[in-house]
Amino acid sequence: MSVVAERASSAVEELVLLTNDAMRARRRPGAVVALWAWETAMAVLVAWPASALVRSAYGEHPRGDAPLFNPGGFELTDFLANAAHGIAPVTGVLLVVVLLSAVIGLVPLAGMLVSIAFSTRLLRAPGPRAVAARALRAFRPLALALVLATVLQAVLWGIAFGLGSLTASGLSERAGEARAQQLGFLVTILFALLVAAVGVVHDLARAAIVRFRVRGIQGIRLGLNAFRRAPATTFWSWAWRALAACLPVVMGALVADKIGGRGGLALFALLAIHQLVIAARIALRASWLARALRAVDHAHRVYRAIPSRDASPASDPSAPSPISAA
Amino acid sequence: MRTRSPLPLLFALASAVLVVAHDPPDASATPQALGLPGLSAGTPVRFDDIPLADHAEEVASYTLSAKLDPSAHTVHGEGTIRWRNASSVPVSELWLHLYLNAFKNEKSSFLREPLPFRTGETMKDWGFIDVRRLALHGASVDGPGAAVDLWPGAELHREGDEDETDVRVPLGRDVAPNESITLDVAFDSKLPGVVARTGYAGTFHMVAQWFPKIARLESDGRWAHFPFHKMAEFYADFGTYDVTVDVPDGYVIGATGPMTESRVVGGRRIERHQQSDVHDFAFTAWDKYQSLTETIEGVAVKVLYPPGYTKVAQRELAAMRFGIPHFGARYGRYPYAVLTLVHPPQTAGEAGGMEYPTLITTGGHWYDPKGLRAIEHVTLHEFGHQYFYGLVASDEVTWPFLDEGLNEYATEQAIAQWLGAGSFLDISGASVSFNAGSATISDRAVHNERVAQPAYAFESGSDYGALVYARTASIVETLRRVYGDAQVSLALGRYARRQRFKHPSPDDLFAAFEEVLGASVAKTLRTALFDKGWVDYAVTGIFDERASERAGVYDRAGKRDTVAEKPSADGRHEGWVLVTRRGTLTFPVDIELTFADGSTERRRWEGDGESTRIRIEHRVALRGVVIDPDHNVLIDQNLLNNHATAPGQSGGGAPRTLERALYWTQLLVQQVAP
Repeated sequence: MSVVAERASSAVEELVLLTNDAMRARRRPGAVVALWAWETAMAVLVAWPASALVRSAYGEHPRGDAPLFNPGGFELTDFLANAAHGIAPVTGVLLVVVLLSAVIGLVPLAGMLVSIAFSTRLLRAPGPRAVAARALRAFRPLALALVLATVLQAVLWGIAFGLGSLTASGLSERAGEARAQQLGFLVTILFALLVAAVGVVHDLARAAIVRFRVRGIQGIRLGLNAFRRAPATTFWSWAWRALAACLPVVMGALVADKIGGRGGLALFALLAIHQLVIAARIALRASWLARALRAVDHAHRVYRAIPSRDASPASDPSAPSPISAA
Repeated sequence: MRTRSPLPLLFALASAVLVVAHDPPDASATPQALGLPGLSAGTPVRFDDIPLADHAEEVASYTLSAKLDPSAHTVHGEGTIRWRNASSVPVSELWLHLYLNAFKNEKSSFLREPLPFRTGETMKDWGFIDVRRLALHGASVDGPGAAVDLWPGAELHREGDEDETDVRVPLGRDVAPNESITLDVAFDSKLPGVVARTGYAGTFHMVAQWFPKIARLESDGRWAHFPFHKMAEFYADFGTYDVTVDVPDGYVIGATGPMTESRVVGGRRIERHQQSDVHDFAFTAWDKYQSLTETIEGVAVKVLYPPGYTKVAQRELAAMRFGIPHFGARYGRYPYAVLTLVHPPQTAGEAGGMEYPTLITTGGHWYDPKGLRAIEHVTLHEFGHQYFYGLVASDEVTWPFLDEGLNEYATEQAIAQWLGAGSFLDISGASVSFNAGSATISDRAVHNERVAQPAYAFESGSDYGALVYARTASIVETLRRVYGDAQVSLALGRYARRQRFKHPSPDDLFAAFEEVLGASVAKTLRTALFDKGWVDYAVTGIFDERASERAGVYDRAGKRDTVAEKPSADGRHEGWVLVTRRGTLTFPVDIELTFADGSTERRRWEGDGESTRIRIEHRVALRGVVIDPDHNVLIDQNLLNNHATAPGQSGGGAPRTLERALYWTQLLVQQVAP
């Protein structure tokens, strides 16, 4: 196995494409931290005005906002009813952040893919400038893939809900409404699996776009072919990580339940646990993306006709081997 | 490629999800000490001095047969009505309510009133009742046994008003006080598509307000008659109902009172249900019902529910395991042998959430999570109506707060005692009580209209809901928290016991409160209900400084001294807090002072006057103040002015909100981010 050097530009360091075996998320903890920092920055944009709103109402309370966490929710319901004028702007900020995260978030995502797929000639993690340069170049094809995948998923959801609803109403008289609704739900779930499959192909396409620097449509073709080659294995690789990512959230909820409205060290501990939850979920996502980067390799070899601006790993025998380096 | 097995991880995930939603506590474990402000189970109150009436005064009794045609959605009824003039004056006419005519056309009072309250008033199919015969026995010149049909002389509606729910029937002669008459009656009822409590959906039939019903005659000879208003319910005299229900075989029947006969003849199921001491009769029939039964405190409880709703039915039974003994202890033993809970299918949701004697309808979905307690609430609420409406048969049209309001209080008190702080919602660390919801909802409507007014007088459905239900509940709950569970339970318990099988007015309620809690509390209650009474406690000033010798120029013993500002050597602080009471209601409140060293101290203000200035002398600086820290005054209009921080001190800020908002937004970003 070998790596191939790529001369990106004179301004940024040279990156080499790692071999499949070397594309591991665990080798790039910095990428996980960087994505955590991005998500945290986005979240602060919402959390700060939200807490400022609460501070304006309860900041002068000797216990601060602790009463809002009292069992029974008396202060909380009262606050929500009386602070509606302030909640609307915070919700507006939230929507902007969501939109930003969905679109601009393609850049940090591409950065993570670059970081996992490439290294410096000395097999070190790529530096921020090199990562940023490559990630920015991938933005347009990634955005195209995002739009196409989102439209397709929305259509599938529409069909899913429509068919689920038709099933529930059509079978209601014969099977009873509860059973009919359960069957309708099952139909919706089956379509949800299709939606998830589109998401998996989308991720594979993203991996191809970053790894091979292809255009959006070509990336989708590569992603689709990679998925068709081993659909069950590939889907399961995504699914178990997605399910596992729910576990820390449940754990975080249980801890939050126990801590309630306590402050001081307990609150600090909760902050740490919650941030570990976020980091764990990012790590699982990174692990899946690394898997996607590996999965698209074969599809690319089969479809060599697709022009790529990256050379094949096998084409540069002079490059050092990441396996031996590891 | 081989991946590491994720199964242990998934198992752990599933286990964790299962424990997130909390199960309701076993009803047998209650009452429980909750350890929450104002929510303690309270001291058991004894009512040995108040005997419970065994029976009602029998005034209007009905012996009817009802034959359901589930294809045409009609009920053919016939039988007799025995009515006694229980007033002190002779009467020469009867007033009959034909409630089903509310759904006959868009000129009925019900459909004319633009007041959305319960959803689903859009008519899917019209409903009406045609009386064929109403014959008075003993009124014929042909002899004492013959009967004269009064119906041709009936005045179906008033001039210029096409509502046909309130009918005047001249009797042709006077009926003396305490004299009884017997009427033969025959009628055909066409059920509407399910709308506001009654009707059909497919083969499901909720047959309520389906027969000609005599209005209540007050003791002074005044008829309490009224058209069927959209937001109003009913009012009638007690009597015995003996009803034989006839439906196709294969249909399951649920009805008021115990079944005393049952047979299948010619492909028809015929059941006879008899119940004394009630003032209405309803039944349901459906060919898809499933049922659960259990005897609770000697009451045969049956739940009728759609297929797939077994878990919901079990939740409703659990609510009854708590509710029957709880309401019995507080408001007197449930006197009937049976109780039927009807859970309508979703397509007939508007039939849910309604009360009839010994039969209540509930609601909720098969997928409602355990942590959301709407199913338990509606079950307890409708059961509570067996007391506040059923046994304590106040006029629901004129004084809806006496049934809906007091019952909502009783429901919220019960469900809080049973399920604790998360009586409304208890999911993953978030707990919200019905008390909190009611207090918040009612705050917004308090200045709009008064609580104590007829149902039809409310300007909007939202005011009606917020004031009659939520405001009444919050007012009585405030009294309970402020003056103690034992006192308020005693007052309401006495009222419920004394008024069992009677038709009380608001004055009867106030008399019970005055007897137990005194005239001023009764006046507070009256002001809150009748005069839009409100209250807002506010911190309007706070001051703290290091204690010092008073500086200035003093003439002492012939000498003039100039004393300079000099802080006390022991570091003591002096200060004050100004607390103001706004509004027309008065409650005593606690005022909690917090000091710089974290210690707290409580002072009591009886609420007399418009404000009080609390002087403080303490070894360290005053940090802040909180009025009513236990939230006893649920109806305090503005909680945000209940606290303040002393100058130079910092409040607690909002670090918890910052942490939670940060985390939840991060999770959201992860969902939408690519």
